[in-house]
Amino acid sequence: MKKDLESELREALRPVAPSADFTRRLIAQMEAKSAPAAAPPRARPLARPLWWVSGLAASLLIALGVQQHVRAQRELANGLEARRQVLQALHMTSQKLDLAYEAVKHQSSSLLDSESGA
Amino acid sequence: MALALRSINLNDSSLDYLDQQLDRARAGQSSAIAVLIRAHQRSVYSLALRMLGAREPAEDLAQDVFMQMSDHLKQIESNQHLVFWLRKVTTHKAIDQLRHRARIEWTALDENQAISDPTEHRDPLLQRHLGALLQNLTPDARAVVLLRYQEDLDPTDIARTLDMPINTVKSHLKRSLESLRERLEEVLP
Repeated sequence: MKKDLESELREALRPVAPSADFTRRLIAQMEAKSAPAAAPPRARPLARPLWWVSGLAASLLIALGVQQHVRAQRELANGLEARRQVLQALHMTSQKLDLAYEAVKHQSSSLLDSESGA
Repeated sequence: MALALRSINLNDSSLDYLDQQLDRARAGQSSAIAVLIRAHQRSVYSLALRMLGAREPAEDLAQDVFMQMSDHLKQIESNQHLVFWLRKVTTHKAIDQLRHRARIEWTALDENQAISDPTEHRDPLLQRHLGALLQNLTPDARAVVLLRYQEDLDPTDIARTLDMPINTVKSHLKRSLESLRERLEEVLP
């Protein structure tokens, strides 16, 4: 009886096959799982345009900075030139006033002399 | 380690072939992984089916086992090691699932018919009852019986596969056979 039961168990427990598409579904699942792992190499081409955009933005910022600096330098030079011209004008005005003062002073003294002579 | 390979019916040349496929699979060739799956899916699926008692959870468990296999190929030394590894992981996963069920709702007798291969039956009624009675064993005892009579392992290899003392394996086998015999006499006097 023991031998019979063991032999019947072996017969009853013969391996059976899974459904027909078991392997196909499993391989598809494995490929889907390994797909995200392959994603990082794909990210590299995307990183290149971002790098160029960053470079372009940095170049534009530098150009703007240089332009601002040149403009500031030019405004400073213009300011200095204007200051110089104002000072020159003041200096010339002062000289003319001195001349006028001397002329007035000279005329006044001549008039006093003629009055005292008379 | 004399591991029986009855369930996949392999001779020396096919074992060499599977060792070659294992090397290719370790190198990442998906066609080789598919060959390994096809070679071992009947054994893994049958263990899962007879442990869990239903086709759908058995296929899910078998898929889990093969997914885990593809992640552990570098640690698998040979096809014999792979067979041992697959049996070990399948039975441990199935026992864990069964222990997590509060109450195991075993499948109806009609569905248990499908657990055996109808083309191989000598006595379909006896085979059907054996399949159903197997579901009444505890998860550990069922795993021992399946490894003994489906996978044709001796008690030493069963003990290694299930991380179980050999005396416990022998005790499970003895008590399971007695229980099956008694119940079989009740349903088929």
